[in-house]
Amino acid sequence: MKVISAYSIKGGVGKTALAVNLAYAVRERGLRALLIDLDPQGAAAFYFRVDSAERFKMSDARSMVDGLRRNIRESDFPGLDIIPSNLAYRHFDILLHSMEKRRKQLRTVLEGLTADYDVVLMDCPPNITLLSENVFRASDAILVPVIPTVLSQRTFEQLVGFFRDKDLPCGILRPFFSMVQGRSALHRRIMAELPAAHDGFLKSSIPFSAEVERMGVQRMPLLAYSRKSTAATAYRLLCEEILTPWEPAH
Amino acid sequence: MGILDESSVAGQFVMPEVATPGLLAEAWAGGVEVAGARTLVVTLWDTFEWGIWHGGHVLLSVGASFRLCRREGGWIGAEVSGEEISGPKPRMARDFSNPAMREALGPMLGLRGLAAVGSARLRSRHAEFRNAAGKIVCRVEWVDVFRHGREADPVASFAGVRPLRGYEHDAEAVAEVIRANGGSSTGQGPLDAILRVAGHIPRVYTLRPVAGLEAGMSARSAVCRIARGIFPIIVENERRIPDDLDTEFLHDYRICLRKLRSLLSLMKGVFPDEATEGLRGVLGALARETNRLRDLDVCLLAREEYTELLPPVLREGVGGMFGDYEMERAAQFKKVASRLRSSAHRQRMESVGAFFENEADHGPSEGADVPVGPLAFRRIYRRYRKIRGIADTLGVETPDEAVHALRIECKKLRYLMEFFSELVPGNEADAMEKALRRLQNRLGQFNDYSVQQRSLIAYWKNRKGRAAEAPGLPLAVGGLISVLYQRQQEQRGEIQEGLDGFCSGATAAAFKRVFKLPVQSGPAEGSGS
Repeated sequence: MKVISAYSIKGGVGKTALAVNLAYAVRERGLRALLIDLDPQGAAAFYFRVDSAERFKMSDARSMVDGLRRNIRESDFPGLDIIPSNLAYRHFDILLHSMEKRRKQLRTVLEGLTADYDVVLMDCPPNITLLSENVFRASDAILVPVIPTVLSQRTFEQLVGFFRDKDLPCGILRPFFSMVQGRSALHRRIMAELPAAHDGFLKSSIPFSAEVERMGVQRMPLLAYSRKSTAATAYRLLCEEILTPWEPAH
Repeated sequence: MGILDESSVAGQFVMPEVATPGLLAEAWAGGVEVAGARTLVVTLWDTFEWGIWHGGHVLLSVGASFRLCRREGGWIGAEVSGEEISGPKPRMARDFSNPAMREALGPMLGLRGLAAVGSARLRSRHAEFRNAAGKIVCRVEWVDVFRHGREADPVASFAGVRPLRGYEHDAEAVAEVIRANGGSSTGQGPLDAILRVAGHIPRVYTLRPVAGLEAGMSARSAVCRIARGIFPIIVENERRIPDDLDTEFLHDYRICLRKLRSLLSLMKGVFPDEATEGLRGVLGALARETNRLRDLDVCLLAREEYTELLPPVLREGVGGMFGDYEMERAAQFKKVASRLRSSAHRQRMESVGAFFENEADHGPSEGADVPVGPLAFRRIYRRYRKIRGIADTLGVETPDEAVHALRIECKKLRYLMEFFSELVPGNEADAMEKALRRLQNRLGQFNDYSVQQRSLIAYWKNRKGRAAEAPGLPLAVGGLISVLYQRQQEQRGEIQEGLDGFCSGATAAAFKRVFKLPVQSGPAEGSGS
């Protein structure tokens, strides 16, 4: 079982679209996927027409596992399940603060939850909190969408700085270019420079696409309604790039 | 999977003829999409013992495609493995080339062969039930089963409700709609209908039928009941030997002949001696006619094991030997099959069946009216003590013949315990039988090694033809005999260990407690030895 997180400090960079489509691409490869929507906005679950999670008691790791397990919802696509978000998740941080081993609690929770899955994907809220730190410590890879702009580049570098400060393994950070506009000279310039500065930069990138934006109307992953679009192909390639090195483990 | 898709069945319904997936859609407040029908001709495969069915699976073929799936009640569940078969239909697990298929089927088939057990045309339709948000909350698979050539009227229709995780309440609501439209939960599914059309109901096959004995019933009456349970198994297997689907029909036929013969000798005195001896003679002759065929089956079943015992360089040497065995088996099989079809054989079989039909047909005998319970228990305990006596004399120098005699005694005790275990209260007989079985397995293994060596020596002495000229043959046969001899000697220690467990401690105490009866005067009984 591998844990992949879609994470960015900055919002609006294609993080949820990544989590949703990557989850779909994983099940297309015959693997069992669980998508956990940790973002209280609940956009990932919305894309699957899944209601918010029921509230549940979160006093320790055990009760969190039970509550999350009760909230597993099978998507319309066999092999892909979702744990929807809940506004109460915004209290995760307070809860984690009160626990022992508070920086590693999420890993314990996932271990109790994920026996039925090959890949767990987490859509994380866009901020740096104790929950984020838990996500970092529980993940095998953290996919960071980076729009090829100066501001995005800066926020990514902030994230790398945080990893160094906290002595977190930078190797699990897997940035990739998102919402790429090939005609933009700025995009082209940053795409030429930034990967050289970070070892884990993925070769795959996701183009800016109106098709992706239609996900809100279609309420399903792009890969389900526009299977052959350029963006759908890009998500599949990204999925392959992430999973291939792990495949002997599956 | 269902017939066409993967997910588990939560509710299974038999649907009335008038109900359709469209009717269900009308009764559901959310949206329902019914996908187009898919029709396919499905053939089900299983063994005579229904090993796959009882193993919780179903093996089906659609054209040349074989699929092993889990069985969910009467529905086809998730696929375990599959394979396209281009050549002849597979018969044994080894006939599949996909290792996953072989591995999954192996334990369910054992030495049994596969045969088609039913075939029908299935029409499968899928309905997706959605909630107000448009999310699929339940799937229903609707399957109509048609008899071949009668595509207009389904034999039966079924609806399988497949809930989605987290939406079980919605699935229950869909099930309510189905019930309201005449669906009834009988636990049956399309698989049951396919088998019903073919005239099959999966049954539990056993060589130990329940006779319905009571301790106070007369010994003759009890013996007749036991025999009437065994005889149909003999007939059932005998009828299928000529099909040559697998080696186990002959094997079970012989086991049951032997059981019947042993029943007569172990319960000697229950019928007049002359009648007993007459029937024993018939049963012995019936078994003897198939001795060589069974020996050859055993040799050929050991082919893989023999080959693996030899270093690769010598393996080719035994190839010709097995070729010879195969040829001889083909000839022997022809002979046996033709004999089984003969009127003389039929008459003998009829005479065996008739012997136990009416106990009053036989004249009086000393043990006929003795209550069976005390008689059987006394004989079981006497046999057990006899085995203990033999065990005391066994050692490393004991000749093979003495071990062989012990094996025969154990077999007799086993039969006695099997015949009369119904009379033992509770589960007390189980532990004793288990200890006996453990000992018998070791003795059987010892005997097999001995028989195999003799058989190899006999082959070597009587060899002729091209296979016998193979340059590697003397080395291979010699090598095998050495290994088998070595293993046989190792087995002696195992036997001693088995005997220690069987002849003392808890097992000995249990035999004494259950089978040793207080000494009392009563009607005379035969020796039964």
